[in-house]
Amino acid sequence: MTSTDPAAMFRDMLGEWEKLANSVGGGLAKSDEFTRFMHGATAAQMNSQEAISGMMTRALAAANMPSRAEIEDLSARLARMEATLGHIEERLGGPPERGNRPKPSRTRKPPAAKA
Amino acid sequence: MADAARVEFERAMQRNLKGLEYFQTSGPTLGATPKDVLIERGTMRLYHYHPRTDDVYRVPILLVMATTNRGYIFDMVPGQSLVEYLLEAGFDVFMLDWDAPRADEKSLSLESYVLDFLPAAVARVKAETGEDDINVVGYCFGGVLSLLWAALHPDAGLANLVTFTTPVDFSKMEMFQSWADRRFFDVDKLVDTFGNCPGDYLYTAFDMLRPGAKFAGNMRLYDNLWNDDFVKSYRMFDRWSSDTLPLAGEYFRETTKKLMWGNQLYEGGMEVGGMAIDLATITVPFLHVAAEHDHIVPTAASAPLIDMVGSLDKQEIMLKGGHVSLVAGGNAIKRLWPNLVAWLGERST
Repeated sequence: MTSTDPAAMFRDMLGEWEKLANSVGGGLAKSDEFTRFMHGATAAQMNSQEAISGMMTRALAAANMPSRAEIEDLSARLARMEATLGHIEERLGGPPERGNRPKPSRTRKPPAAKA
Repeated sequence: MADAARVEFERAMQRNLKGLEYFQTSGPTLGATPKDVLIERGTMRLYHYHPRTDDVYRVPILLVMATTNRGYIFDMVPGQSLVEYLLEAGFDVFMLDWDAPRADEKSLSLESYVLDFLPAAVARVKAETGEDDINVVGYCFGGVLSLLWAALHPDAGLANLVTFTTPVDFSKMEMFQSWADRRFFDVDKLVDTFGNCPGDYLYTAFDMLRPGAKFAGNMRLYDNLWNDDFVKSYRMFDRWSSDTLPLAGEYFRETTKKLMWGNQLYEGGMEVGGMAIDLATITVPFLHVAAEHDHIVPTAASAPLIDMVGSLDKQEIMLKGGHVSLVAGGNAIKRLWPNLVAWLGERST
């Protein structure tokens, strides 16, 4: 029996529309034309980013400020220090509160094996 | 008809009231199962969840998350958390999760993940548990990393290997193949410009796999605003799927060239750190779980995996559901999790 409930009909229609949109839109998104357009837009964004990045580097150098690359180098050095601290902490057994927690025994058997 | 009209009228009233509430409140807290952070190094995180039983299975589990998304998909909220389910079933659970790679981590490569992060996580789990054996469970690209690690570390104490929706034949990932078409996609330019591959770029790619899903999802949300359970579930999954991580630049460049363009894992020639990968060298018990309606990793992309692995004790399970609902939806609770616990339980003593 066909439903006469408009809300149920709307929900069915929405489901059908979604399937159609995914199928048609998916087919379109797989086409060469779409891929070319999408990467064209990305390339334009990358070119403008490169231009801005170059300008910013020159402006920062003129203002005697560190560039992004220099901050990244600094960050990498901090990361190495962080890793070293991590290794030291690991060797010391981690934060003390963890050591106080009782460890479970490791003899559990699956339910079928217990029966 | 009058009853239906009355129900719709009541729902319309509820929608107005709860619609206001929706915008005034944040979603449920995700990933809140108590845990210790064992390693926090750049993009890498290793968690140890507090055991829930006095006696656990001897072999611990290490969940390996995909590098594109956050690991809280395994730990949404109480009652909808794989981690919680495994803890209650008596497993000792660890998770290798990822934070967004920092700008200075753009040079991380596949080698960093397979020969550094995974071995470091495994070593730490062994030290923490005092056990030489470990179960590894990888999701999506976390499964690929687990396979690469397992193939190169036959003596690492791997007891059992489980992969969820893990691609090996990348030529069958049709939509991603179109977008990564080398005639139009200049991966070198992208990595050299941005450093890391932006998360927005990946989010848009995932979103475009189902162009109608966003609009239909919003309409369904409005339609179901009166339903607290629906809204809670919508918010959880919406937040997780939009929480897409950037990928380290060299890692993205390498996976694009070796896997999307070269399809080397399936066709041969795959190397990590100069070492050849052969999945036939994996001989531990192996379970692969695929989703029937996976729109991200189509079943054809993961189907050859079971034959490529050298294990004698191996099994593939095809479950109803999609890429995400397989591990975290209602389907997961009813289908995947009990299967996983039963399979691992009898092999983890």
